[in-house]
Amino acid sequence: MMADRLTFESVNCGDMLPEVKQHNTQELTWQHAVASLDYNPVHTNPEWCKTAQVFGLPVTVMHGNQTMSLMATVITNWAYPVGGRLKRMEVKLIKPVPIGSTCTYGAVVTEKHPIGKGKDFVALDLWAMDEGGENVAVGTAQVTLP
Amino acid sequence: MGYLEEMAKYQKTEKQEIFGADFLEREQIDDYEFWDEIEIGKETVVPLKFEVKAEDMMAYAEGVPDDNPVFYDEEYARKCGHDGLVAHPLFGTQVAFFLLRKGHGSWIRTPGARNPGQILEWYDPIRVGDVLTIKLTGYDKWVKRGKYYMRYLTETYDQNGTLKGRGYATLILPKSREDVLKFVKGEHALEA
Repeated sequence: MMADRLTFESVNCGDMLPEVKQHNTQELTWQHAVASLDYNPVHTNPEWCKTAQVFGLPVTVMHGNQTMSLMATVITNWAYPVGGRLKRMEVKLIKPVPIGSTCTYGAVVTEKHPIGKGKDFVALDLWAMDEGGENVAVGTAQVTLP
Repeated sequence: MGYLEEMAKYQKTEKQEIFGADFLEREQIDDYEFWDEIEIGKETVVPLKFEVKAEDMMAYAEGVPDDNPVFYDEEYARKCGHDGLVAHPLFGTQVAFFLLRKGHGSWIRTPGARNPGQILEWYDPIRVGDVLTIKLTGYDKWVKRGKYYMRYLTETYDQNGTLKGRGYATLILPKSREDVLKFVKGEHALEA
């Protein structure tokens, strides 16, 4: 159970962060392409994907950095309203996420590093899971907290 | 309506409007660097600059989409303890694609490229008004199970030489110009 006001002191190992859930559509991935300037056709061009099949699939897939962005959003929703900051994130993208998938993004606190005021940080495990219960990405993060 | 026209509806910023969205345009391939040409250890400071505007930062957050007001409301962000409008942590993606359009680093645009994972480290917040550039280093490349991997290091600096962040990114790429050209034509050209 997390305290109302998030601080480094209030956090405990095992605390689960509120999840983010998104049903992805081609429109959302087109918006992400425009926002990130990553217009790679594997994400944007359904006709091209029918034959190019970069991932062995005849469909467009989400950007890896779109998945990573949503994994980061789990953290920014939690820590940024109190002045927290991501300092490190490592993500392994396990499988492509076809457009039309519904994924859930989550995180759990695994470590506390009390190294000094302004530098105290927590470590977290991260995941992105598809509607079939399979992880499409996993990772770790370090987040400074006041 | 074609896919490029569909995406054009979402353009909001000056940079989005001038950026070329067609990654299959044949002519630009001539300026790319391919897996079999990449020099490991080579360092490049990209000559282009990215002047950060609030619209750039907000457009990235909108494209996640992430409606956290720290990304849109400077006053709210300051009340939260930040020193100004906050950039979404993955905002550097927009910076990298804007700056790495040809030559060393162009592999991020390659049709057929796959992204198996990244390590990102943030050292100093990106702020409105920063003028960013990227130093790029080809870090490693290898072949595994018939796939052509490469890892590169990007370091982002502001106008004062302050290191803003560092990223180690891995990509699986088509091996050669010929393979990329197959992808440009819509043919599959990866390993068997």
